[in-house]
Formats: sequence, C-alpha cells, structure tokens
Amino acid sequence: MNPDRRASVLLEVRQAAYGFSHFQLQSLNLSLHRGETLAIIGPNASGKSTLLKLLAGLLQPQAGAVLLDGRPVASFNFRERARRIAVVQQESFLHFPVRVMPFVLQGRYAHMGPMQFETRPHQEVARAALLQTRTGHLAERLLQEISGGEKQRVVLARALAQQPELLLLDEPTLHLDIGSQVELLRLVQSLARRNHYAVALVSHELNLAAEFADTVLLLQGGRALRYGAPAEVFERELLEEVFQTELDVFPHPETGRPRVVLRAPEGDPKGGGPAALDPGLR
Amino acid sequence: MFATLMTTESAIRRLAASGTLGICLAASLPLTATAAGNQSRTVVDETGRTVHLPARIERIVSLAPNLTEILYALGLEERLVGVTNQCDYPPAARQKPIVGDVVNPNLEEIIELKPDLVLGTTAGNRRETADALERLGIPVYGIDPHSIEDVLTSIRNVADLLGVAERGAELDARLRARLSSLHQRLNAVPRPRVLFAIWLDPLITVGGDTFLNDLLRQAGARSVTGELRLDWPRLSLEVALELDPDYLVLPRTHSLRSRLTDLSGRRPWQSLRAVERGQVIWLDDAVLRPGPRVVEVVEALARELHPEAFPATEAARQ
Amino acid sequence: MTTTVLTWREVARVCLLLSAALLLISLIALTLGGAAIPARSVFAAFWEGLTQSPSSLSVEHRLILFDVRLPRLFLAMIVGAALSLAGAGYQALLRNPLADPYVLGVSSGAALGTILALALAARLTLAMPLAAFVGASLTTAAVYFLGQRGGQLAPYTLLLAGVITASFLSAIIAFLLNFLSASDLRGATFWLMGDLSGTAPFSLAWLALPALMSFGVMYYYAGDLNLLLAGETEAESLGVDVGRTKLAIYLAASLATGLAVSVSGAIGYIGLLVPHLVRLLFGSDYRLLLPASALGGAVVLVTADAVARSVAAPTEVPVGAVTAVVGAPVFIYLLRFRLNDRSSASATGENS
Repeated sequence: MNPDRRASVLLEVRQAAYGFSHFQLQSLNLSLHRGETLAIIGPNASGKSTLLKLLAGLLQPQAGAVLLDGRPVASFNFRERARRIAVVQQESFLHFPVRVMPFVLQGRYAHMGPMQFETRPHQEVARAALLQTRTGHLAERLLQEISGGEKQRVVLARALAQQPELLLLDEPTLHLDIGSQVELLRLVQSLARRNHYAVALVSHELNLAAEFADTVLLLQGGRALRYGAPAEVFERELLEEVFQTELDVFPHPETGRPRVVLRAPEGDPKGGGPAALDPGLR
Repeated sequence: MFATLMTTESAIRRLAASGTLGICLAASLPLTATAAGNQSRTVVDETGRTVHLPARIERIVSLAPNLTEILYALGLEERLVGVTNQCDYPPAARQKPIVGDVVNPNLEEIIELKPDLVLGTTAGNRRETADALERLGIPVYGIDPHSIEDVLTSIRNVADLLGVAERGAELDARLRARLSSLHQRLNAVPRPRVLFAIWLDPLITVGGDTFLNDLLRQAGARSVTGELRLDWPRLSLEVALELDPDYLVLPRTHSLRSRLTDLSGRRPWQSLRAVERGQVIWLDDAVLRPGPRVVEVVEALARELHPEAFPATEAARQ
Repeated sequence: MTTTVLTWREVARVCLLLSAALLLISLIALTLGGAAIPARSVFAAFWEGLTQSPSSLSVEHRLILFDVRLPRLFLAMIVGAALSLAGAGYQALLRNPLADPYVLGVSSGAALGTILALALAARLTLAMPLAAFVGASLTTAAVYFLGQRGGQLAPYTLLLAGVITASFLSAIIAFLLNFLSASDLRGATFWLMGDLSGTAPFSLAWLALPALMSFGVMYYYAGDLNLLLAGETEAESLGVDVGRTKLAIYLAASLATGLAVSVSGAIGYIGLLVPHLVRLLFGSDYRLLLPASALGGAVVLVTADAVARSVAAPTEVPVGAVTAVVGAPVFIYLLRFRLNDRSSASATGENS
C-alpha cells in the first residue's frame, strides 16, 4: 500500500445535518484518515449515536454529505457498504442459541451471494478474525455462555470478518469491567494501526477516549463544540460546562494524555450538598 | 457454484421421494373413468344436482337416519348395504354395515360396499361429501325437505328412483289420509302458541322456512319463532320470556330432559308460563327426522295440544 | 475446520434423511384407513402401477388407494410443508419464537372468505377454496398496511396489527355463522376445525406450485433471515437489505398460509412446533431450517392424519384435534425446558 493511501482520508463529513421532532444534529464537519481513531464524546442526547448511524449509512443526512472515499455512503448498495463499513453495536439481542463461529461467519455475508454457504476461504477469514481478537478458543461455545468481555470481542471479530475499511463502535465498553474495557480498546487501537482501519468510537468513558483516540469530537445538543487532539479537547472549563459537574483535568505522568478526575463536592457541614455542585460558587 | 448445485440437489432429492408416488398417481388416472362405467339415466335431485344413475340399483348406502327409515318403509331394506352410526330405526337397521357418522362418513367404507347409489339429505350431510363421492364415480341423490309436503314428495321421488313407484304412491296416500283426517279434527280449534327448542342453553329454536315449523303448524300449533328467517335462530332468554309461549315443545333426548329439570328450578326459566304450568311436551326424537314417522309425531303433538279434538271412542282406533 | 459451520452436504444429508422418513410414513399411511387393504396389496398396487402390469387388486381397492388415500396423502404433505414454512418464516420476521402461521390473521381472512362463499355462492364447488384464498390475500395486504412503520414492516406493530385483525375477523365470522343454513353451517364448522377430507377438486399440482414458489422465495432469503434474527440494525450493517427481505418473507409466508388454510382449514400447532423441533434436532440456520421444516411438516401432518383416520375408525377425528392433543403437551415441554434456556442476552451477558 503506498504511503499516501495509508494516511489518506477515508471518511469525510461535510455540513451534515439530521433531525427529528425534538432533536437536531447540525452542520457537522469531520474527516477521518485510515489508521486514525476518533472518539466521539458528549453528554446524553448530544447526538453521538445519531452521528454514528450517519457515518454507518444507516441514516441519510438531511443536509450535507457523508462521503466514503469521495462517494456518498448512501450510494453504496447494502452488500457493498457492508464490505467497507463494519459496526459494533452496544447490545446484541439473541433470540435463538448461536455458537461463536457461525456468529462471526455472519460477517462474511457481504462477501457472499444469496443461497451460498461459507466455504473454506470464508472460514479462514473468520478464524483469523477470532485469532486477532484472541477469541479463537471460544469458537465452539454458545454466545450466551461466554462472559461479557469475551462477547464484545466476539462481536468485534464479526466486524473484522467483514474486512472493512471503516470500523464504527457504539459504546463498546458498556457493561464491561475496567480490565475488559482497556483490553478491548487496546485491541481496537492496535488493529486500526496494523490494518489501517479508520475507527470512530462513541464512548462515555472520557479517560479511555483520551488514552486511546488520536482525535476527539465533543458534541453537545447536536453541535460540535470542539474537534481535535485529546489535549485540545480535554479542557477543564469546557468539560465542566458540557457535563455540568466539577472536574479536574491532569495530564497522565507517563503517557501525557489527559485524565479527567472527579472533584468531590465540597461538603457544607450544615448540609449544603446541592450548593457545592453549583458551578457558580467557586 | 457448488452452493447452487446443492440447492438443486436437495430439491431434486426432495421431489424424487414424492415423485415416485406421483408417477403411480398418473399411471392410475384412467381408473376413475371405468368405475363409473355403466350409466344409464340422468335425473336431477332435489338439490338441483344432476345425477347419473346406473340401470339397475341393487346396492344403496344411506347417509342419514331419515333416509334409512324411508328405505325401510318402502320395503327396500334388502337393497340397503350401508348406514350411518345414527341409523337406529327400525332396530334392524343397526345390523347393517356402518359407514361412519352423518357429517363425515368414511369414503373408503362406502367404496368398499360397492354402492350403485348413495342417498343423502341437506338436513344432515355436507356438500363436500357429495362432491367427493361424485368425483369417485359414485352417484349421490340428495333430498331437501323443508316441509311435510316435501317429505312426502321425497318419499315418492326415492320410490320412483328405485323402481318401486307404486309402493311410494301407496305410502304417500296412507300418510296423506292420516294428515287430512287430522286436519279435519283440528279444523276449528284455536291454535296455541308454542316454542320448539332443540337446545336450552343457549336457547336454539326453529325458524320459519323449515320442516319443523311446518310440522308444528300441521299439528295445530303456532310457532312463536315462525317469523324468523334463520333455520336455527338462537334466542336470548328475555325474548323467550317476552314471547311467553303456551307450550314448550322439546325432542325427548336424554340430555334435554336432565337439562330442563336443572333449569326449571332457576329464576328466569321458572317464570316462563309453559314451565310454570308444566305445559312441556316431549316428542319422540323422530321429530328431528324428516321421514315417514313424521305423521305419527304430528298426531302425538296434536293430541297433547288439543285433547278435546280426540274423543275417547276414536282413541282406540290407533 | 470447525464442525458447526453449515455446508451444503449437511443440508442435503438432512433432507435425504427426512425424505426417507416421509416416504416411510407415507407408505404406512397408505395402508391405513376405513377399508382393510393389506399392506402387501398396497405395495403390489404401486409396483404394478410403475411397471404397467395388470392389477391384482379389486376395482374398489384401486379406487380407494389411488383416488382417496393418495390425493389425501399429497394434500397432507403439501399443507404440512406449507404451514411449517410459514411458521419458520414468521418466527424470523417477527423475531418471536411463539409466532405461528395464524398470528397475523391470514387464517381468519381465509375463514371469512369461506363463510361468505358458503352464504353467497354455495353451489360452486370451487368457490370455497378460491374465496378462502382471496380472503387470505386481502387480509395479508390489510395487515401489511397496518403493520408497517416508515415504509418497512415493524415486527412489533405487525404483530399487534395481525392479532387485532384476527380477532376482528373472528368476531365477524361468529356473527355470520348465525346466518348460514344448517347444512352449510355444518360444513363451515368442520372446515374451521381443520380437515383434510375434502381433497381439492382441482389438480394437486396447482397447490404444489405456489407452495414451491413460496419455498423458493424464502430459501433465496435464508441467509438474510439468519442475520435478521440478530436484529434489524445489525443485519443492515452486515449488508442485508432488511426492508426487501422482510417484505419478501411476509408475502411468501402469507402465500403458504393462505394456500394451506384455503384447502384444509386452520390446522393448529404444525406451523408453531415443527420449526422448533427442527431447530432442536438440526440447528437454527435457515438454510437448513427451511427445507427441513417443510419436509418435517409433511412428515408430521401425514402422521397426524393417519392417526386421525384410524384411531376411531370408521369415523374420523378431525386432524386439527389430533395435532392439538399431541401438540399442546409438546409445546408446553418446549416452553418449559427448551426455550427458556436461551435468554435475550445483552452483549455483555450476565456471566461477567
């Protein structure tokens, strides 16, 4: 792969807007390069998931454009899009028992025609995906039986089996313990670097975003407040304003990446809890 | 590519299994024609179907109790080779081979009996049964009685069909004579209002254009449900109370007897005049069979309703 | 390589197995019935038919075998296959393991069509199945329009629309039943219970053709159905054209249901249980589940019909009664012991 392409822009969002009755995502601009990891953060109802769906092509922008390699995402047909974009959702609802290997093989759908079966080449890709996510030993297990962290990695494996160029993750670390959270994001980051994926992930975990993302987009109420490297975005006053709570932001002594820390509310001995949370009082 | 072959392969295998049987079906199609080989004449039955009859009708299957009774009354029991499980009159009929029940007789049993003709009635059998038998080459003649007059006509039609026209005419004449003498007796008597029910809860009665309604009329009664156009109208109890008939007329089946006993102890039923005064008439369940015994039932009902029309001297004549 | 990956060989193997079972049960069913035809004669008759040699059976026995039992056997096979296919399809479409072919009101529409045909045009023998099919189709269309959201079929809305439509139509049917003449009422009630005794007047090929079409369409989307079960958004991000898949499955399953119900009334438990039994035995992959359900449904209904014809000979129990008596306990067992094992687990599960 030539060096230019390796760092080229894969995904571009120009003035994209999307809205429904009580919500508007306004005029967003961003560009994502291959190999780059973007974290999308913001309070609840800021439009993070909506933006992700726009990037995935699951929603069409009502204004502006979302372009993949210069083409609007909407112009790809279903299978074509799935060969290029893979999404890892928050939660999977499984109504019938399914084993890990067939589950991961679902990622090959976009590479197969109707009524076909997963032949050896397809199985190899799936197996490789399992190995990359270190879940190869779980291939025969029922998805319902494995732990939460393992399951998320399996879901990631399925996304990898699609052999995409763009990997989108929506709150991938929800419900995971801290060890699994770190493990997953470390994995995502290394995959992005190694396979030259562009990655966009939505997360509530500010510190994980700060540690593992190359760029961060901060949303509030459908608007982009800041977009840039973690150090640029993780500014104390800005974050306190957006998240409406007292915080401290320090650079981590070893990695240099910003860390967000709760500031305990200053307790008024006479029972003034709420007063301490008022940002006006300082 | 192999995948598409796979689908074809499994599809082929799937069809092959049933295909073998299918070949046999195709090979046997000519059979249906030969079974209905000896047609001789064509008549139209009482339901409007065209029936192709063989020259000689030696073997008859009856699909309803009233038809069985008609055949026995015409002296044709020797030619009767199959009856239903409800054909219990005359008792000898119980000894005949049984082809199933009235609503869904067993086609195979019927075929095995090799009938020349099957008799059915709209008052019990289904159209589908008749259709299926026709498709198998077995002629079906259906009667469609809606009144006592119709029953008499049916008896004569069946008799004509089976070559015993004179017996039919004779039976018809006898029954008519009894009816007309009954009419003479009942000439000037007042007609009480009756409610005929075949079921009590829910209350299912009999409507206007039916055989039973005609029967009630001929017995010198007036059915309170005679204006209703449905065959078996379901009445709510309050309507029955409103109509307040003089008599309640019921077929004498075991289940109805016990049901009425239960119900007459309870409030709404108690207030029915007919129940209060014990004016409940039980009729032989032949009342439900449009057949030769109908006239007996009419007479029995007339006696109960109009005892004054039957002076003691003539009671002995029966 | 792992053993859990489905191959076409596996599909072919299972189909062959079920076809063999079907053949076996069919031969047994052909020896059962009101007339006592010895088994040897049954086989002899077919052999003679195949080799075009003169028959050793009486005219009556040949008539019974080829014109009563054989058409009925084919009818049972087609109806059993159609109902199971429809059940499997609806279970995927609605993502609900309790879905059966009747949950979306198609059978009520067919029943209404039948009742109206009886009331208005009873003399035409073709009227009933035709009217039933028209009733089923109209209901399918109505429920579709009621059950869609944003131009696509939404399972929750669809289910509600179907259930409401079914109960509405049933109420109309109950009302209309009052107005039928006694003999028509008898026929209607019999049909409503599910009945295979009225073999269709038109050739069985006319029934088999739409059934095969329905199977063909559903099989084309079998891979999509596997993914659809994981959730619509997931399926879409994996590359499935979700809207088109749902519509195709809806139409194919409704066609199969309408077909089955218009010739034999509403025979219960086949569409619900056969797909589950097949899943238990062979797994949930729709590329196997669909053909296996079709064949399995044929086997089950042929068996049930054989039982219905022999258990109270010479009278016949309605086949719907047999499927209910056997099906209900099987359903309870499945519900209690099998379907509760898998939970609608979230991505993180409870085993953290």
